[in-house]
Formats: sequence, C-alpha cells, structure tokens
Amino acid sequence: MTTEIKRVFSFYFFLKKKSSRTKIFFLLSSAAILLAVVIRVYRLAGHWAENSQIIFQNILMVFFLQFLIVILALFYGTSIVPEELEGKTWPYLSSRPVSKAAIIIGKYLSSLAVTSIMLLSALLLSYFILNLDRDFQLKDIWTVVSYSLVLLLGLAAYLSFFTFLSTWLAKPILLGLAFGFGWENVIQYFPGTTQKLSIVHYLKSLLPQYTSASGRLSFLFIRLEPTSDWLAILILLLITVVFLGLAALLFSNKEYLIQD
Amino acid sequence: MTAIIEARNLSRWYGNVLGISEINLEINPGITALLGPNGAGKSTFMKILTGQLKANIGEARIFGEKVWNNRRIFSRLGFCPEDDAFYEELSGLEFLSGLLSLYGFNQAECSRKARQALDLVELADVADRQVRSYSRGMRQRIKLAQAIAHDPEVLILDEPLSGLDPLSKRHIIKLIKEFKNAGKTIVISSHILPEVEALTSEIILIHQGKIIARGDIYFIRDLIDTHPHMIRIKSPQFRQLATTMAGEDYLLKMAFEPEDQAVIFETHDRDRFFNRLNELLLSSPLAIDEITSPDDNLQAVFDYLVGK
Repeated sequence: MTTEIKRVFSFYFFLKKKSSRTKIFFLLSSAAILLAVVIRVYRLAGHWAENSQIIFQNILMVFFLQFLIVILALFYGTSIVPEELEGKTWPYLSSRPVSKAAIIIGKYLSSLAVTSIMLLSALLLSYFILNLDRDFQLKDIWTVVSYSLVLLLGLAAYLSFFTFLSTWLAKPILLGLAFGFGWENVIQYFPGTTQKLSIVHYLKSLLPQYTSASGRLSFLFIRLEPTSDWLAILILLLITVVFLGLAALLFSNKEYLIQD
Repeated sequence: MTAIIEARNLSRWYGNVLGISEINLEINPGITALLGPNGAGKSTFMKILTGQLKANIGEARIFGEKVWNNRRIFSRLGFCPEDDAFYEELSGLEFLSGLLSLYGFNQAECSRKARQALDLVELADVADRQVRSYSRGMRQRIKLAQAIAHDPEVLILDEPLSGLDPLSKRHIIKLIKEFKNAGKTIVISSHILPEVEALTSEIILIHQGKIIARGDIYFIRDLIDTHPHMIRIKSPQFRQLATTMAGEDYLLKMAFEPEDQAVIFETHDRDRFFNRLNELLLSSPLAIDEITSPDDNLQAVFDYLVGK
C-alpha cells in the first residue's frame, strides 16, 4: 500500500500546489510575516520596547496556534472527501487501481505537506524578522525549531481529525468550525481533566512559555493544567494515528454518492 | 467462454427509489450499448461496474472477479464518466499524466502515454492549455482520453458522445470501433439513438431499472412484430384510402394528417396490410405519393417496448 500512497500523494501534492485555495491560504499565512514587518519597523522607530521574544510568543499563541493551524487543517481536512464529490471528480479516483485507504492517507499527507510549507515559511520568516538582531543567539534557533515541531504536531492532529469528519459527514465544515473555533477555545478554560479533551491543551502544554502570565494576552494561559511533555507528544501522535486510521477504515467501507 | 462482464441478479436502490432491479447479463468483447431514457438505470449499472456503488442484491464481476473494493481489476478497465467534471487547474497533459501516475507508471511513461491519448482524441495541440479553457467538445474528448490512456481491456463509457460536434463525433465513433477491432470490451450508454446505431448492433434496452430487451438490432426489430406497426401513406385520395381499408380486421387504428394529405395506419399484421394495399393499387386509380414507416427505427422499437 505504501507505493499506492506515494502515487496518490504525488498527484495531489502537485494538484494542491496549483490550486487557487493554496494561493489564498498562502496569502493568509503570510499575514504573520506582514505583522512581523510592521512590528519590526515600529520597534525600530523606538515605539515598542517589549522583548521581541515575548512579542513573537503572543503571535505564536494567538495567530499560529489558535488560528492558522486550525483554519488550515479545517479547510484542507474537511474537503478531502467532499471536494471529490462536489467537484464530481470521484469517478476518476474510484476507477484507478489504488485502495481507498491509500487515497485517504495519500490525500491527507499531501494536505499536510502543503499546509506545513505554508505554516513553516510564515513561522520562520516572522520569527527571524522579529528576532534577528545583535542579541540573537544560537539557542534561539532551537526555540523556533521547537515551536515549529509543536505546531506541526498540532497541524497533523487537527488535519487527521478533520479528515475523519470528511469521510463521515456530507457537510463536515460546520462541525469542524464548531470544534476548531468553539470547543477548542472554550474547553481550555475549564479546570481539571475536561480541558484535556481538546487538542490545543496538549499543544499549549508543549510550548515553553505556557506558564507565562505576563503581557496583554496572559488570559490565554490561565487555568492551564499542563500535561507532561512526552505524554502530550504521545497523545497528539495517537490522535493523529487513530483518526487517520478511522478515516481510512470508514472510507474503505462507505459508499459515496455524487449528488446530481 | 467466460464473459468479460457479468451481472447476477444485480439490484440497487437509493432509499425508496429504484436504481436497477434484477439485472442479469453477460457482456463479451465488442461494443454493447445500454440504451434508455434518463433515469433508466444506465449510470447506476455503470457505477456498480466501476466500483463507485455497491449493489444491494446480487453481484457484478469483471474478468470473473467481484468489482466492489477490488482495485486489481481497475488497471484493466477505463471509465469515462458522464459528468463534465475535471481538476480544472491542470492542463490537459497534466490531467492525463496525473491520473496515469496512479497506475504506477513512471514520469516518462505517464508523459508518453498521455501524449499518445491526446493524439488519439486530437487534442495534442492544446495539451498545455488548462482544462478550464477547453470547449465542451474538447472536455468530452479529454474525458475519453483519460479512460483510454492506459490501454485498458474494458472500456465503460457513460454518454461519451454527448456535446461533441458532428466531426468529433465521427472521429470518436471511429476510435471506439478501432478499440472493438482490437478485441476490447466496450460498454457504452446513450440516449441518442443514431449514435448507438452508428456504433453497434448489440443493444440492451433498459428502462425503470430493468432490462426490457437485449439482442442485436435485428433481434430488436423482430420484437417489433409482436407490437403494432405504423404505416404512413401520403396520397391525394387519403380519405378514400382510409375508407377502403377501414373494414380490415388487422387494422387497429387510423390517424389523419390532412395538412400533409396523409393517413397513418396502425396494424398488427404488416404483411396482410401490404397485400391488401397492393390489391387496391392494382384495382383502383389510387395515387400514392409516399409510403413510410414512422416507427421503422430504434426509437420506435424503444417506445413500443417501454409502452409509450
């Protein structure tokens, strides 16, 4: 099945590179770069004295963690099956010698690759625009690498969950929106184990600055009862594998009808 | 010889709506046409054959193997869907190469086979243009190209000639006939009768999810003998002709077309009707301008059999 997954991946990676959706989301993710440029210019003019690492952490928590990875995963994940049905291109896929599980996994990986490129390019560029100065140290590279890895884990987990929704529901976007921007935002303020029923909880647990309670956005950190690093990584990987497995299983056995 | 395509008691519903019911058939190499009006069940049958739908009852087999979730058979099968749908951002060449890559061909093979298929459907000169800029006829041809590009043994073509201009239509008909001559099995659906007649004489009439007749065109024509025939006679004395024939027991119905000076007879015994007509022509000064059979074509056979 690996070769079949590779074939599907290559085709869809190529297709996604050319799609207008990718161009739009690439522009959206570039908003972080633009923001970093504006802040940098503002700081150079001597208006914002706050530590640039703290400023970037705020961008990371608000824009990247709670918005960009969720929206990228939501739009790419929930469209994996519906785009073939609504676009009526499903017959081209279903009549090829590739298993349905390979179709789902291949499409998932191609979406993950494209969104990862968008995410990483925006994250790295905005980080370096804000922080590359005389005070920049080698350890700062590890900081941004660790941020990137955590966000990639989050993207993989969200994308897997939304891929599952797309194999299960005819219109998965609504439930996806409610989950990504409703449940995930609200549940993290609940004390105790309830907050662990979200993906964002494990991502926040992994971010080095999760205990920070300073700054204008400190309310985002309150009530977080972090999970240990390795357990958080394990749970995120488990979420990714379980939902992707369920998606592949469901897609292999369910019948999908093109509506006329 | 084992049939290439077999359907056994194949039935499929969409909720309470019947798609196809108890379809039993075997299809051998050559061109077989599925003929029926929209909603007859042609596309449902083809979707089952191409693994998009699962039968509720019965099974479909291709090369002796079950179709549902059996990807092995798809390297030997090409499918041209009815819907006008594409990955619009791709060029014609990219569209074909991309789909070919799913068969496991390497990049060079994909490109070679894609160009070959584009040549066959006469789209080589627009290979690098985006599919979204293609005309309806070009889109129809590229759809056919993706079905034939990997040189399959079985071709399932859902309304492949719709939207084509007469020249392209003739070209595609010729191409499909060449596949037939190469020993391939082709199943084609259409509701345009002259297209079917131009392609094959092996016809399956399908209506309301059931096969109502199957055979070559001559067999289908024979079926007509169990149904009334229509004979239209144009004559300046059409009323006199109608009066003379009115008493014949094999005559079922008469209809007049005064503006054309014509009368249409409906009879269940064509031979006796024409014998009597000959007698009349010899014994009276009746002038006849034209004798035609409005039902002497495939459409009429179809209409009779579905009880229109």
